[in-house]
Amino acid sequence: MNCHRWLDARAAYADGTLAGAARADFETHLVGCAACRADLAGLRALPDLTRALPRAVAPARDLWAGIASQLEAQRADLADSPAIDWPWRRFAPWALAAGIVVLSSVAARRADPAWSVAPLQGVPEVDRAAVVAPAGFRPGQWLATDASSRARIAVGRIGEAELGPGSRVRLRGVSGRNHRLELARGSLRAVIWAPPRLFFVDTPAATAVDLGCAYTLEVDDRGDGELAVTLGYVALAEGDRESLVPAGARCRMRRGHGPGTPFADDAPAALRAALAEFDFVAVPPNGTVGRILAAARPADAVTLWHLLGRTAGAERAAVCDALARTHPLPPGSTRDGILAGDIEPRRAWAESIGLGNFSSR
Amino acid sequence: MAAFESTLPGPLGSAADHPPALPAALARARAGDPQAFRAVYDAHVGRVHAVCLRLAGDARRAEELTQRAFVAAWQRLPSFRGESAFGSWLHRLAVNTVLQDLRAESRRHRRVFPTDDLAAFEAPVSAVPPGTRLDLEQAIAALPPQARAVFVLHDVEGWPHADIARELGVAVGTAKAQLHRARHLLQETLR
Ligand SMILES: [Zn+2]
Repeated sequence: MNCHRWLDARAAYADGTLAGAARADFETHLVGCAACRADLAGLRALPDLTRALPRAVAPARDLWAGIASQLEAQRADLADSPAIDWPWRRFAPWALAAGIVVLSSVAARRADPAWSVAPLQGVPEVDRAAVVAPAGFRPGQWLATDASSRARIAVGRIGEAELGPGSRVRLRGVSGRNHRLELARGSLRAVIWAPPRLFFVDTPAATAVDLGCAYTLEVDDRGDGELAVTLGYVALAEGDRESLVPAGARCRMRRGHGPGTPFADDAPAALRAALAEFDFVAVPPNGTVGRILAAARPADAVTLWHLLGRTAGAERAAVCDALARTHPLPPGSTRDGILAGDIEPRRAWAESIGLGNFSSR
Repeated sequence: MAAFESTLPGPLGSAADHPPALPAALARARAGDPQAFRAVYDAHVGRVHAVCLRLAGDARRAEELTQRAFVAAWQRLPSFRGESAFGSWLHRLAVNTVLQDLRAESRRHRRVFPTDDLAAFEAPVSAVPPGTRLDLEQAIAALPPQARAVFVLHDVEGWPHADIARELGVAVGTAKAQLHRARHLLQETLR
């Protein structure tokens, strides 16, 4: 026997949360309704039964084999995939991450990758409309957060991004090989599991090109900003200038100048200060490169290697010699080739240092 | 170790409920070591399977969803930054995996997963012969999917109504009403 009219009042009464006139009304009903009294007794027994449920229930069969075979399939896919410019396989930790990328890209082909936005904190807005539950995010729309809100963006099936407080980002376009956001201001943390060069974030100063990684981009009100990479690599590009930023490094960017020179997260303050002048002052003071070299540690190879492509003459020779002291030139690469500005020996050197097989322009 | 302590209120937050924290294995798994991930799996599979089983209400599907949740966890480990307990992070991931599956299921069978169709809550989906005595697990499995989700997340897992409403994409009032219906159906089935 049921007494539906009083269902909510009964539940609240059993909880002890029914108060005032509503409680008095229900009590009046209760004394005359056997169905409600029976229901109430059952409701009051329920919490004890619920608490007694075990927190963990072992599955009836071993599920690991099925999981392991999926992880293994991803690795097999990786082995079959064509060689790419980036030496993923050299970096054991990333080899598997790259394998996952293959699986995800298969999934991405299977279904149209829809973008969506979900609030993480506060009330973000899409085109000035409040987002209180997960919602679609379409090309051309702006997503904005205020000082107390954050949002998660599902980047189709290729990854996800978290938009920090005080930020504005626009979905510029989605096509097979081009997933593009524009970060006008604020901070964006992206985790991408797609193959390299599918996901781009434009900022006023430069474009971040995902190379399979996790990173944070910050853009201030002037349009200047900084990129910090925690996994894989990101290329930061503007015009003919490109910086390749590996995990554990960061790179500043300035509107009108494009990306600066990458530096290690823990690079010495003196190196950072000199680098800021080298990168963004129209005519850097004499001795700027010398100050960078004087401050550089072996762990600052990422900075020195980039400087090879951004210096000339005696300065390039000084950079080359400083880098060679901690990271000897690989066989087949010569100092003369580096000083002549040849791409190949520089690429080989990057690879031997562990920076990746890339060319800097 | 502090990074792996729970920040969530309710049952999730009590230390006794957590499998032993595995910072070393977790760090190695995060760096791509499948053997280390096996240890992470061993420590957490019971908890993940329990929530999949109760939310899905079907043993076979729960096994599949448990596997899917661990594969998803492996893929997303690089984005786990230790801001919450790993167990809580994994739990959320498992819940999302099941709810996504239920939503996909509802798109295939419109009727099964109505957002606000109260009539759907009046009768359990699975036919239970009258007079059959069920235990609570079976009674939960027999609930309509959305009422089951609300009951499991609120009464079993201790989630606040606001979080549940957000995950299910319904109003808080709707989530509460569904919880009341779920409790009503359960006590009626168990009586
Ligand atoms: Zn009544």
